[in-house]
Amino acid sequence: MFGLIGHSSSFAQAQEKARELGLQEMAEADMLAWCSAPPQLLETFQVTSRTGKTIEGTYIDSCFVPEMLSRFKTATRKVQNAMEMAQKQGINVTALGGFTSIIFENYDLSKFQQIRNTTLEWQRFTTGNTHTAWVICQQVERNAPLLGIDLSQAKVAVVGATGDIGSAVCRWLSQKTGVGELLLVARQQQRLQDLQTSLGGGTILSLEEALPQADVVVWVASLPQTLSIDHDSLRKPCLMIDGGYPKNLDAKVAGDGVHVLKGGIVEFWQDIGWQMMEVAEMENPKRQLFACFAEAMLLEFEGIHTNFSWGRNNISLANMELIGNASLRHGFQAIGLNPAQLSRAAQGGVQLAAA
Amino acid sequence: MATLEAPELGTETGNLPDFTTETYKDAYSRINAIVIEGEQEAHDNYIAIGTLLPDQAEELTKLARMELKHMKGFTACANNLGVTADMAFAKEFFAPLHNNFTTALEAGKVPTCLLIQALLIEAFAISAYHIYIPVADPFARKITEGVVKDEYTHLNYGQEWLKANLESCREELEQANRDNLPLIRRMLDQVAADAAVLHMDKEDLIEDFLIAYQEALTEIGFSTREIARMAAAALVG
Repeated sequence: MFGLIGHSSSFAQAQEKARELGLQEMAEADMLAWCSAPPQLLETFQVTSRTGKTIEGTYIDSCFVPEMLSRFKTATRKVQNAMEMAQKQGINVTALGGFTSIIFENYDLSKFQQIRNTTLEWQRFTTGNTHTAWVICQQVERNAPLLGIDLSQAKVAVVGATGDIGSAVCRWLSQKTGVGELLLVARQQQRLQDLQTSLGGGTILSLEEALPQADVVVWVASLPQTLSIDHDSLRKPCLMIDGGYPKNLDAKVAGDGVHVLKGGIVEFWQDIGWQMMEVAEMENPKRQLFACFAEAMLLEFEGIHTNFSWGRNNISLANMELIGNASLRHGFQAIGLNPAQLSRAAQGGVQLAAA
Repeated sequence: MATLEAPELGTETGNLPDFTTETYKDAYSRINAIVIEGEQEAHDNYIAIGTLLPDQAEELTKLARMELKHMKGFTACANNLGVTADMAFAKEFFAPLHNNFTTALEAGKVPTCLLIQALLIEAFAISAYHIYIPVADPFARKITEGVVKDEYTHLNYGQEWLKANLESCREELEQANRDNLPLIRRMLDQVAADAAVLHMDKEDLIEDFLIAYQEALTEIGFSTREIARMAAAALVG
């Protein structure tokens, strides 16, 4: 059995979902009531790999909503209680989706292993970041050439380069993909310098310096609401992989030679009999899901019952390869630019050629 | 990975209250009374349920005796702090739930009686004790840690009986949930201010109570959707 811990993307959406599930009281309850709501085990479903193997999974909604981020104790409790529920269900491996792993990491919840009479066993959980990082690298490798970007010559900016996913993406792109130049963007200078040393290369730049130079931008940091990007200053074509959470880049910059792809999203080879991805606003919710959730499925398919992705900067290239191979074998595929985006890219190319 | 601003660890996190202040003792006089009264009611309720289930009377008497032992422990906690429990307040506090229990008892409704005592009151106690332990004075902490283990046994007793009899009492349980869960919510609201003085957070109390209650309902055999619906009655109303 694998598990997924998820949450709604807003309070309004959580209420809407409660209404759909027939929980009228919750749909009408105010934010304070939701702050006291316990986690809910919402569904159990089966997933069959392309290899024919079938596993069972459980979706737990932590009842967290992003509006609770400013309430440290509430956010913490939601994550811990959902994890305790997953463990008490006897789930082998549970992925911490959405803000769950972010809260766990940033609030340093590994210090609090005891939840009531339960001692959390970390080996039962994964952030899913290894698979997410691998998927994002695949998205860069496959989609940049479709836009006429030659990666061996290209400048690739990684925004949030020192994070768990960001640093893994940097390692892969510099050592496996071989990109022209890696532009490293993050807030903490010391960590940036450490990363540069460990990579043996890469250029440290501010966001403002990096964006106008980049042929590809990988976003793995949350974007401040106030962030404004000067569309005119960007290179055209430019591939942007929106690997942050929540995914809100598209509305800010897409169009006219700038192509935005939802990062860290995979599509399964057949429909999954669940309902929960609909709330994540996937284009094809029966098949598309976050790569971090898919990691829990992959670990269960492969019988790898360890906390495969855990802590910060522990993602190795070997593990990315391992999970990547499993991903392909069991029928997952990183989502790519859709036909409409590609056709716009082609038209842009013609206009450039005509000019 | 996205990043969050570093949280401001609240002053109450990890800090113990000053057990010697008048404010603390005043709040403690009511919270402690509720605990003592709760244990007394639990004792009486288990004995009473035994009259409806004669073949279980011996087991129930055993449970009841444990509650009396707890009561003595919590009385010692008040003495240790030099506090006199406000028993009049506590009696009034439990009155609505007590009345519902008495009505169910007179009607011979075992499932309702068990839901009130073995599920609601026990889950309420377990969650409150869990949250109290990290902020208790050292004397009370030791006693409470011992008690909380026993309370799981009691919750388990109710669970097992209701599990074995679920099909015949499903509707009665759903009605009993509707009638009594809002009372628990009101009781929590009523003690929120005093609990806050003891560094116990109302949000924590409600959520932990619902987790313990939901786990019991899961054990009994309700579906996840039914449980979510039943628990929601505590969050509103």
